[in-house]
Amino acid sequence: VYRWIKTPKAIIFTSLMLGLLFAVACGTSAPATTEPTAPPTTAPAAGAAAVPTPQASPTPTGGAVACGGDPTPTPYACAAPALIQELDERFPLPPPVPPWPPRRGGVLHIPTSVLRDLDPTSDYGTEMLLIYDQLLEWEATWYFPEVQRIPTIRNNLVESWEMVDPATWDFHLKQGVTFHDRPPVNGREMTAEDVKYSYELLRTKPGWSLAATSVESVEVLDTYTARFNLKFALAEFPTLHTNGFAPAIVPREAVEAPGGLLENPIGTGAFILEEFVPGEGALLVRNPNYHLSLKGEQLPFVDAVRLIFTRDAATQTALFRTQQVDLLRPPTLDSLYQILDTVPDAWLYRVPSFMWGAYTLLLNLDEEPFNDVRVRRAISMAINREVVKEVINRGDASLIGPFPWALAGFTERADYTYENLGPYYEYNPEKARELLAEAGYPDGFETTIELAEYRGYAFEDFAVLVAKFLSDIGIRAELKQLDTATWTTKRRGGEPFDGILAALTPSGSGPTDWHWVYLPYHSTSGPTVNIGSIYDAQVDELLNQWRETPAEEQLAIQKQLWERLTDQMYRVQVIVPPHYRLTQSYVHAGGNPYCWYIGFCSYEAKTTWLTENAPVRGFERFSQ
Amino acid sequence: MQATMWQYVARRCLLALLVLLLVSFVVFSLVRMLPGDTVLLQLSEFGALTPEALEQARRELGLDRPFLEQYGTWMWGLLRGDLGESLTTGRPVSEMLARRINVTLHLAIMSLIISLVVAIPIGILSAIRQDSVLDYGGRLFAILGLSLPNFWIGVVVITYLAIWFNWVPVRALEPIWVNPLKTLPQIIIPAAIIGFRLSAVTMRMTRSSLLEVLREDYIRTAWAKGLRERTVIVRHVLKNAFIPVVTIIGQLFSLLLGGTVIIEFIFLLPGVGSLTLDAVMLRDYTLIQGIVMFFATVMVGMNLLVDLTYAWFDPRIRY
Repeated sequence: VYRWIKTPKAIIFTSLMLGLLFAVACGTSAPATTEPTAPPTTAPAAGAAAVPTPQASPTPTGGAVACGGDPTPTPYACAAPALIQELDERFPLPPPVPPWPPRRGGVLHIPTSVLRDLDPTSDYGTEMLLIYDQLLEWEATWYFPEVQRIPTIRNNLVESWEMVDPATWDFHLKQGVTFHDRPPVNGREMTAEDVKYSYELLRTKPGWSLAATSVESVEVLDTYTARFNLKFALAEFPTLHTNGFAPAIVPREAVEAPGGLLENPIGTGAFILEEFVPGEGALLVRNPNYHLSLKGEQLPFVDAVRLIFTRDAATQTALFRTQQVDLLRPPTLDSLYQILDTVPDAWLYRVPSFMWGAYTLLLNLDEEPFNDVRVRRAISMAINREVVKEVINRGDASLIGPFPWALAGFTERADYTYENLGPYYEYNPEKARELLAEAGYPDGFETTIELAEYRGYAFEDFAVLVAKFLSDIGIRAELKQLDTATWTTKRRGGEPFDGILAALTPSGSGPTDWHWVYLPYHSTSGPTVNIGSIYDAQVDELLNQWRETPAEEQLAIQKQLWERLTDQMYRVQVIVPPHYRLTQSYVHAGGNPYCWYIGFCSYEAKTTWLTENAPVRGFERFSQ
Repeated sequence: MQATMWQYVARRCLLALLVLLLVSFVVFSLVRMLPGDTVLLQLSEFGALTPEALEQARRELGLDRPFLEQYGTWMWGLLRGDLGESLTTGRPVSEMLARRINVTLHLAIMSLIISLVVAIPIGILSAIRQDSVLDYGGRLFAILGLSLPNFWIGVVVITYLAIWFNWVPVRALEPIWVNPLKTLPQIIIPAAIIGFRLSAVTMRMTRSSLLEVLREDYIRTAWAKGLRERTVIVRHVLKNAFIPVVTIIGQLFSLLLGGTVIIEFIFLLPGVGSLTLDAVMLRDYTLIQGIVMFFATVMVGMNLLVDLTYAWFDPRIRY
């Protein structure tokens, strides 16, 4: 071997192999380095800052941000705004309105995580709402501040509702809504008895309990009227029925039949479960008697939906590239670019996040030093959020406060600024050190940041960055990697965390104050809802007042809550990346392009339609 | 001799029962010592539930009962062949296992076949042509097989097959005897990836074992008697050299039943590996216990089988 290595043949062979390796590496690298429209590495900082991106960040105070004024910016930092600008040009906001009338037929393929079943009595998943309806649902929410600022409610099973008093609400049901025509229910009409039965059945079930927290009892006034008696006055009660966690309406016969809803998955929804293959997926076919229509056209438009369970990002991407699935949710800007590179005609909805997926530090408020507001403020001010944006998602992320911007009245994207967050979100390590000294920690302290791998979120990068920023002000944070299950339990309040938990913001299921503000911050909510067990008498008082105030007057209280919570910094919210939704070119997101995410907004599978360019797919059984 | 053999088998079976009893207690205790709450873990990404609902769900699952009572109930079920019901789906654990084991067995058997078909000829050639180009090639193959992780090969293969050939894993694996033309292409690539690594291990073991036997006196005697190479290798070398190879194949097969999780993920194959991971991630105690008991039984059984096959390979071995 030694003799052979010294021969010219060996040298040529080795060079060729290295060349080949290099070519392969270049071919698969992130397009930031290969994209011809990306700026050269010498792009001036000012040029990058001037890019009119919808998420253009305000100038941070005192931070060493590479593209925000540093005379020697790194190519990495300066590349991101141009990449984002390119996305804005290719996929403008608002997205084009789909053509009308829609084409009927075809089979929509949706990748999902692995679902254990589609039985609402034992499990919860937004995909269940393809089979089961709720009383109301969102037609559109605040996803695109430029065009959609007022959420629109779709009357799903309800004709109208009225407030008898703030703690008593009557819901008048639509007549003629039928369950799926399958035994043992055989297409009978849905009535108020079903509403009462479903709320009583599901109110204590994991996943559904939160929306029903306020309900004391349900009475049947007549066949089509259900009265909700609440535990307390609640002006926002109707909107609680719109989100994905409000109890679904199920028929008693199917629940009580042998096998329950697991064997008899019957609802009033747009699709009927045809086949569920554990670990692999499910096939749902169109409900021909579905009661909802859109602009006079009966829903749904597609013949069937095939849910394909996947766990691995590379597999999902491969499925999308080969048109085996019709939509994809790339977790990062880099992964998005890699896919667009090989599927150039895919359509992107780059949806600003309401608050889902916000990187947050949850603090152990029961113990020192986190029970001191000055320490919490210091931690927040130690973090340079612009750098976090860069590292987590190449700058494509927004600032975020204690609850969604829109709920505090900030409906324009230009409102998403440090100024509106108050003084403690700005990067200011000197001030942070002063606050620590005032709190009695002039030399800092030692703590732990717990983290875990979770669905592609960059918690490791996030925690490393935070630890670095904290060390700059003297806080020595040890990183502690947890297994995902332990971390999830802590994140959901099932177990206390040591010091700091790198996590996602405790989130609501729809754009309601009840879920985003009242429950996560009210002291009576309990540790599994009010994560970290925040107790603030002033916040409680404001929340109680909010609950009983008429909807049109609630915003003033919400603003006070915003001020109080940004001041007290119980949870250190850092940034939130947008959602990326890629669809094949032959998919139209129904009547509403602003809301393309099954479960969280109008359950778009039922309004989606496919053009004639969609692949022809059978739907007699799942394995086709 | 026959009586001795049966005594040995009976003794081993008794020991196996003891081992399984011990395993049952250890796994039952350990899963309950793990941090994490099965009810909270069942919630979707944005889910939450009230503390009251959490307590009620725990009660319904029987998690509030004393430890020994829970263990006793589970053991009583085990003795009757009932592995219990999954805490997350409510389905019988045995039914869930039966459904998944089909996929894993397909993958494991196919991987094993591929590895044996590849590894044993290469191992033999490598040994009998030691230090030749063939030997170097075989060793290079083995080193690559050992050093390239399965998950990496899987991701690369699936990515480039999609880009270059527009190919992705097919949904829903049917048993090979139902539709071999559909199942074989679906299973062959993941099986080949797993088999690549297995063949590296088996090839190295075959080679080293053969080299050792080739240097024995009785082999030199066989050569001296003027026997043909094929006779020496097949009749005298292989049979003796295969004892450690069989041992390792038995172990690899047992490991394969639970060790294909990453490849199952990547190629959308819902086997026992992914079921195990789901069970652990969701702290589904009864499912974890059922799977571990199943694997423990398979392991014990495989070990017994391997020990018994020694006698066939080497008649000098007595029980």
